[in-house]
Amino acid sequence: MVSEEYRGTKQWSRDKQAVFTVIWISFLCAAIGTMVFFAIFDPVDLIGIFDQDLNIDRDAGYAAGFFFFWCLSLICSGITAFLVRTAPKRDAIHRE
Amino acid sequence: MNSPQPVSMYESQKKIYPREIGGRFANLSKLATVSLLGLFYLIPWLMWDDHQAILFDLPARKFYLVGLTLWPQDFPYLALLLIIAALSLFFFTALAGRLWCGFACPQTVWTEAFIWIEQFTEGTRSQRMKLDKAPWSWNKLRRKGSKQFLWIALSIWTGFTFVGYFEPIRELNHQFMTLTVGGWTAFWGLFYGFATYGNAAYMREQVCKYMCPYARFQSAMFDKDTLIISYDEKRGEPRGRRQRSVDPKLAGLGDCIDCQLCVQVCPTGIDIREGLQYECIACAACIDACDSVMDKMKYPRGLVRYTTEHAMHSEETHIVRPRMMVYGALLLVLVGSLVTSMALRTPIILDVIRDRNSLYRELPGDLIENIYTVKIINQSNDKRDFKLSVAGVEGIHLDGVADIVAVDGGGVLSIPLRARAERKSTYGIMKIDFIVEAMDDSGDRRVEDSRFLGPTP
Repeated sequence: MVSEEYRGTKQWSRDKQAVFTVIWISFLCAAIGTMVFFAIFDPVDLIGIFDQDLNIDRDAGYAAGFFFFWCLSLICSGITAFLVRTAPKRDAIHRE
Repeated sequence: MNSPQPVSMYESQKKIYPREIGGRFANLSKLATVSLLGLFYLIPWLMWDDHQAILFDLPARKFYLVGLTLWPQDFPYLALLLIIAALSLFFFTALAGRLWCGFACPQTVWTEAFIWIEQFTEGTRSQRMKLDKAPWSWNKLRRKGSKQFLWIALSIWTGFTFVGYFEPIRELNHQFMTLTVGGWTAFWGLFYGFATYGNAAYMREQVCKYMCPYARFQSAMFDKDTLIISYDEKRGEPRGRRQRSVDPKLAGLGDCIDCQLCVQVCPTGIDIREGLQYECIACAACIDACDSVMDKMKYPRGLVRYTTEHAMHSEETHIVRPRMMVYGALLLVLVGSLVTSMALRTPIILDVIRDRNSLYRELPGDLIENIYTVKIINQSNDKRDFKLSVAGVEGIHLDGVADIVAVDGGGVLSIPLRARAERKSTYGIMKIDFIVEAMDDSGDRRVEDSRFLGPTP
């Protein structure tokens, strides 16, 4: 399409759509999760529970929390997208 | 009757590069882009008293919103604020369609800025297409290189400005200039910079089409009175090419000359003449394109225009309607409760924990003692003196605490203390109140209840 070429973008393949949608939506969910979680818990207090000698500052605590949430939501929405996209077609079920 | 024929105008059209047509809405979009980006890059530099006016200070766990300081305990306010923001989006979507998408969404705004850079370094659409096809030369390298340089520079600036909302930007700037940025700070700056680069330089409107949940939800907020961009089918059809001198009525044609300009300018690649589609981000480029053609043909403007479905069918458009009243009422209630609770907010938090290890202690002199840990959090920015007292049982008093305690601005004071009362005035489990009062004219005080245990005879 002319304009898409002009805008420097091309129609995405179904796989690309799924991959980027999963990354983006799980990022949003992880951001919300991180915000709520760290509004209640201070990473410094949490680190103290696991290991008193662990020398991690608050920034690293936030980052670790965020990536934990992101991994979790990536797995969740990734597997969901995979299952939905690879589900047997309806007529295939009827054939059995 | 003349059969419609392409005229010179359409021949020369191949040389018209749609986005350069411009127009009312293109100007509006430029204005929105400049002012919104300006705000984004400027706001972290604004100061209020002795701190950054807007700073979500994550390392220190406190948020500055101009004169207001919020603490993790104030999270409900932030949640309420986010709900209000979401509801406002619903409200304005129902009213004005996807104005947000076309003019205010960061995706649109940064894409616009990146396209300016592209046009600045590589020229018009045809020049760019020619450049892409051409073999590598010094000129190509220079143009492509400067585009990438400007893109990356803007991305990094964006990333670090974003981090500047969470860490003091003046310190950040100093660290950046002296190359002493801390590990995590650098990581987040580059992370957001990279996201900006990917989104605005390459993914662009594909994000709106495939990745944006709001784009798919919007149909739930739309109704026949929502402002949309629409092609006037009644006026335009039957479409067809014709010479400018031909009277369309005599030729049995509508006003649409089928020049395809509206399709060519569309960043999401849809044909607005096929009706409202979820891909449409309401950027209004097709309105500008069509208006320019209508002007050339000396037809009235507005074949593609902002309108509502009701207006399109010559019915009345209702701005006030049940949906708007429901969204509006909810919004009013939420904003009202936010403002009220903010206004009534006392910048003191009192937390009382009763020592669970012991019930009570009997002291000589017929006294009963309970042990507590009291936490006073001073949510203001200044050091304040507080008076702590207890009430609820006759003759109850505190031991182990000074009359007046000072707590630093933003500080937490944890005091282990004992409350004592005479045996004759205690009986089983009694409710008592701890009271903290600020020793100034503010009248700020906080009351927190707890239990006082005594012997049951």
